[in-house]
Amino acid sequence: MTAATTTLSGTGIGLRQPHYREVFERRPELAFLEVHSENFFLDGGASMHALERARAAYPISLHGVGLSLGSADRLADEHLAKLARLVDRVEPALVSEHLCWGGVGGVHFNDLLPLPHTSETLALLADRIDRVQARLKRPILIENLSAYVECRDSDMTETAFLAELARRTGCGLLLDLNNLYVNAINFGFDAVARLAELDGASIGQIHLAGHAVVDDCLIDTHGSVVCDPVWALYEHACRRFGARPTLIEWDTDLPALDVLLGQAGQASAIARSEATHA
Amino acid sequence: MPELLAFQHGFAAALRDRQRTPATQQWLAGDADHVERRVAIYRANMVASADKALSAAYPVVRQVVGDEFFHGLAREFLRGTPSTSGDLTAFGAAFAQFLAAFEHAQSLPYLPDLARLEWAVHRAYGAADAPDWDAGTLGAVEPGRQDAIRFRWSPGLAVVESTFPIVRIWTIHQAGYGGEFSVAWDLSDTALVARDGFAVTVAACGAGDAAFLNASLAGAALGDAATAALSRHPDFDLGALLGRALAARLICGFTL
Repeated sequence: MTAATTTLSGTGIGLRQPHYREVFERRPELAFLEVHSENFFLDGGASMHALERARAAYPISLHGVGLSLGSADRLADEHLAKLARLVDRVEPALVSEHLCWGGVGGVHFNDLLPLPHTSETLALLADRIDRVQARLKRPILIENLSAYVECRDSDMTETAFLAELARRTGCGLLLDLNNLYVNAINFGFDAVARLAELDGASIGQIHLAGHAVVDDCLIDTHGSVVCDPVWALYEHACRRFGARPTLIEWDTDLPALDVLLGQAGQASAIARSEATHA
Repeated sequence: MPELLAFQHGFAAALRDRQRTPATQQWLAGDADHVERRVAIYRANMVASADKALSAAYPVVRQVVGDEFFHGLAREFLRGTPSTSGDLTAFGAAFAQFLAAFEHAQSLPYLPDLARLEWAVHRAYGAADAPDWDAGTLGAVEPGRQDAIRFRWSPGLAVVESTFPIVRIWTIHQAGYGGEFSVAWDLSDTALVARDGFAVTVAACGAGDAAFLNASLAGAALGDAATAALSRHPDFDLGALLGRALAARLICGFTL
């Protein structure tokens, strides 16, 4: 099976601690919940218990932010072992990571840092993803990144890079449309044209989120509602690729749960309407 | 060096030291000013990640010093003790040592001990759930062999000794604390950190109890731990401590 043939469909939200109680009590109609894998690298306690409760009620998507697949010096095997333990424990519907690096030389920046899109990087990432998928015994999804700097050495677009990575490794793609939009503005390209570089069959999930505008730069903060141009991209993606499991991602300045549910409802309505014309 | 590795070392250097940013222009598009402004976004993210992780582990230290000063502490701590893992669970373990040595935190001498207490609470929060255990098995040990009992304490249990009233300071900073806020600064507290189900509890712990628990947590047999506690604290009451520990399910097994 490839990651894109998961049985998951519909819209989910990121589950964050301030919403635990309300989600468990109200059980809102959602296709899945997504959490950051690293927040649950614990032996036990309240957080693990909350994740188990969430898992009992919803399919779970594990979204990693710290594996640092693109670190040139090493793949953090101890991090991968923790992720494997969590995957065994949770049996998630989806497991995703980012097309990025986070540290080198023993220092970690705990951020999603951009990579040059070169054949050297492609070979490295393909090898790393092979190792991760073998260890986890399942395909993973790789997410496109929002970035504030552009590598001079890149000789392919990020979307072409990801398409080739999926072809080589059998991994699926997590298409973050806010990230694509942020980069389109930051680096001046046409986001819709970039979508044409992707093979729809490899797309296993879509992320929608908000960003901030600081001076001449869009910053991927996950701290506001999805903006209109990103909704328009979502309509386009649903028309082009068909509906995909879609996540409303919100991490900073967390609003009331109903705001997230409202965004999720908006995404579901677009997916229903556009996918029928796909 | 492979090009990708060279780029990452160059970028890493620029994140940790602004003076190193110009060298990244060989890899990053745009003029010097543009590259500096954009790399600065990542530099701020790095400090924000450290601030967020430290805030999660040290919420009371943050309340005591205020958000702005805490952010400065996070930046200084990160400078000397960079994160080494994509998993931030263990980040900040050395914060107490940092605070003890940090010049601008010397006016709050209790801060390092408070931080050690908060780190024990942080560790207890994510510790393994205590396994079920039938305490009745303890009663079946022949009296002549009881001194050899080595207790298995519930995961997360920790003793934090201090010459400052850290339990009191910690308690009055908890959300939902409804009492009065006075602190008797001439008192000193030893804290017992434990899990009660999924909640973490912090309680004052007598000096004899602390001596026994420290010895037992370090692997000493019951008889040796009790002797160590009694030799320095003649009022140590082993029976009372074990009664409380069993009632609170702090003991979850033993070996002989």
